[in-house]
Amino acid sequence: MRAYLFRRLAFALFLIVAVSSASLILARLAPGDYADTLGEQMKPEQRAAYRHAHGLDRPILSQYASWIAHAARFDFGESLKYGRPVRDVIPEHAKNTAILAVTALALATLAGIGLGVVTGSSRGGFAAQVIRSLSLVLLSMPPLLTSLFLVFLAARTGWLPIAGMRSSQVEGSPLVDLLRHLIVPAAAIALPLAAMFERLQSQAMRDVMGRPFVVATLARGVPWPRVVWRDALRVALAPVASVYGLVVGTLLGGSFAVEVITAWPGLGRLMLEALQSRDVYLVVGCAGAGATFLAIGTLCSDLALAWVDPRVRE
Amino acid sequence: MRRVLTSFALLKFFVRTPKGAARLTRRAPLLLIAALAAACGGSNSSTTSNPPASAASAPRRGGAIVASVRTDPKSFNRFMNSDVSSDLVAELTHARLVRINKLTWDVEPWLAESWTESADHLRYTLKLRSGVSFSDGHPFTSDDVLFTFAALYDPKSADVSALAEAMMINGKPLTVEAPDAQTVVITFPEPFAAGVRLLDNMPVLPKHKLDSAVKAGTFAKAWGLTTPPADIAGLGPFMLKEYVPGQRTVFERNPHYWRKAANGDSLPYLDRITVDTIPDQNAEELRLESGQLDLISGEVPAEMYAGARRAAAAGKIAIADLGMDRKADGFWFNLRPEAFKNDPRAAWIKRDEFRRAISMAVDRKAFADTVYFGAAEPVFGPVTPAVKRWYWTGTPQIPYDPDGAKKLLASIGAARARFQIMTQPGRPRFQRAVSVIADQLKAIGVQADIVNMEGLSVVQKILSGDYESVYFAPSTTDIDPAVSPDFWFSRGNVHFWNPNQKTPATEWEKQIDDLMAKQGRTFDMAERKRLFDEVQRVFVEHQPILYFAAQRFNVSSSTRLVNVKPALHWTPILWNADELAVR
Repeated sequence: MRAYLFRRLAFALFLIVAVSSASLILARLAPGDYADTLGEQMKPEQRAAYRHAHGLDRPILSQYASWIAHAARFDFGESLKYGRPVRDVIPEHAKNTAILAVTALALATLAGIGLGVVTGSSRGGFAAQVIRSLSLVLLSMPPLLTSLFLVFLAARTGWLPIAGMRSSQVEGSPLVDLLRHLIVPAAAIALPLAAMFERLQSQAMRDVMGRPFVVATLARGVPWPRVVWRDALRVALAPVASVYGLVVGTLLGGSFAVEVITAWPGLGRLMLEALQSRDVYLVVGCAGAGATFLAIGTLCSDLALAWVDPRVRE
Repeated sequence: MRRVLTSFALLKFFVRTPKGAARLTRRAPLLLIAALAAACGGSNSSTTSNPPASAASAPRRGGAIVASVRTDPKSFNRFMNSDVSSDLVAELTHARLVRINKLTWDVEPWLAESWTESADHLRYTLKLRSGVSFSDGHPFTSDDVLFTFAALYDPKSADVSALAEAMMINGKPLTVEAPDAQTVVITFPEPFAAGVRLLDNMPVLPKHKLDSAVKAGTFAKAWGLTTPPADIAGLGPFMLKEYVPGQRTVFERNPHYWRKAANGDSLPYLDRITVDTIPDQNAEELRLESGQLDLISGEVPAEMYAGARRAAAAGKIAIADLGMDRKADGFWFNLRPEAFKNDPRAAWIKRDEFRRAISMAVDRKAFADTVYFGAAEPVFGPVTPAVKRWYWTGTPQIPYDPDGAKKLLASIGAARARFQIMTQPGRPRFQRAVSVIADQLKAIGVQADIVNMEGLSVVQKILSGDYESVYFAPSTTDIDPAVSPDFWFSRGNVHFWNPNQKTPATEWEKQIDDLMAKQGRTFDMAERKRLFDEVQRVFVEHQPILYFAAQRFNVSSSTRLVNVKPALHWTPILWNADELAVR
């Protein structure tokens, strides 16, 4: 197990370094740099001086080597746009993304697994058909469309805040205010995710429900709900559990579309802004943070699977 | 993703437009160029779809409003950043020596209560208001003005300054003296017709807060986004209270603000302005319509106009139609010497006749109807009729004449011309515009291949001269042409089609240079206007940039706002934030 853990850790580290390095090189290779955002009124010599002062005129490899050397000391450079160290900017936004991701994940897990059990264990019926159809619709809708639809709905009804994380002037409990703001973006992420969980769980439940131990338990007269929710569910959770780590990692990396449309100040939006303004070190920081979350999620998922199934360690 | 957003906007339009109504959306956003354009336009009249709050109620002290911007400010140091959000922060927290009134476009006293001009038009003696204090209570004197100029021209930050170049005359700085605490004497290096108008660009900074940074050579980094709000002081109506990255910037009433209303009321009326950062245009407009915002900092984009009209009809918001915009998007070819080198098209692509043929091939009325949903008017030159003070009423109307265009192209061997038009897909009106141009050129046998590029890539290509033609938003920086030398002069940075020329590349550019130099030194307004008319004549004759239509400028705000005086300006409502109030 120790060797396995070491291998997985090494891979996680490789993933983070590879993603960060690739993002730095790609951000540098893209046309334009931060000096081009300083306004067209800026004279070419002013732009050149800015590039020189911030090392943007250095060869990519030289800049990369310097970045790696600093990153090894946890100095990830300074955001050109914000004039602050990247290591300070990233956590502020990562925290907001984490709040959104955890809420969305909780909603998706509860709804997706619960409904997956219902559809996978039922022998037909109108409710199961409706849930299946809804899942297929939601699965085919990316979070971008879901969030646009929900924002539109919130605007038309006036029931929920449309954008942002907190009201400009909070009346009442700040927590309630935050929860109200969370509904639209969290639902935008959670709905397609719940549909995916529902489909996975449903399929797994159908497989498990046909297994001899379930048939035997039912034959012994154990009530149907008890067999489904206690015995079958435990076995049928494996497929969802295997993708859970990846989902967690991806969500913590931030969602461009949802965060932009709902003005959620998270990592996804920060990454988009950084890319648009060619804020090289911030792009690298965001990509690195996303890769770190993904690596941690994958690692947890792999370890869980290895713990359940020793064959995986081989 | 942006395509889907556009689709969503169109979806909204169809969903929300009453059946059978041919009401189309109006106006389109001006984002990047708004950053460049600190102030332009002409006097404007407005019509509003709701009773104007400004006239309906007397303003009262207190209350708070919520506005929005698309991006966070880059810094609280306006001297180092000219983006629209940083500009808004400066507008709210700082004051200038003089102000250009955005309704009349006249210069009016601000921190300087009066000034006199020497006979040779070189020296301006400004009398400062007495009893004025910064937001932290520190008294304002001429020392602060001297310091502001020192910071402006600070050699250690000049390389990254967003303002220094704009505050020079032909690359030479102004000099400033302070005979006493209430007087400053500003000397221009050469006669400059726009005179003190130039000073509207420059917020006055507190010496007691920033002197150490200038002395230490760190002024370029001073007042970054991590600066505690208490360390930032200004002479504007509001002071920075809180900045939450990615979420909002909060401003509170400056208790030391110097300005009084006409009736003697202390200004500002509002206690607080919160500026939320909302990156998505759809969300911004929906928040306004649902009452979660009091105003958006820019104008109503074309795609949003139908929804805004409906919200106005329901009494939720007020819309003001300020008439034609003072600027228009343009289409130009790369005329740099290195462009089209060793390219067989070089024989015709840079010729005046070619541009004239393109101009004749585009039906401007159809262009306005399609690109701006009818809420635009054809234009033929860089100065639109909205800039009443400077617009040349004799601007020739280039006829829509596809047959004539075909003949003209054939005469220069460009009957089967083909070239690329670069534009930015994130801006729906740009995309519509290049589609219309490409379609209309196809009718005369010219093939225009549309090249969509992400925003910064377009800017980079324009700056580096790596393009064939581009549809974008060129702009001058003030309605006074003398304040926009970089656009008009061949040596200018934003002489987009062929910038930074050492000597004028063409005879007509030399002619414009000479006319502009002359009008910049002329103090007789009628003569200046005559000279600038001539500049416009030469420009339209050679059409280095083709202009097709200028949109109508609509702004929207909550009906609870009082004293709203919308103007053709970036921050069309917040430009007079000190007078705004709520019912």
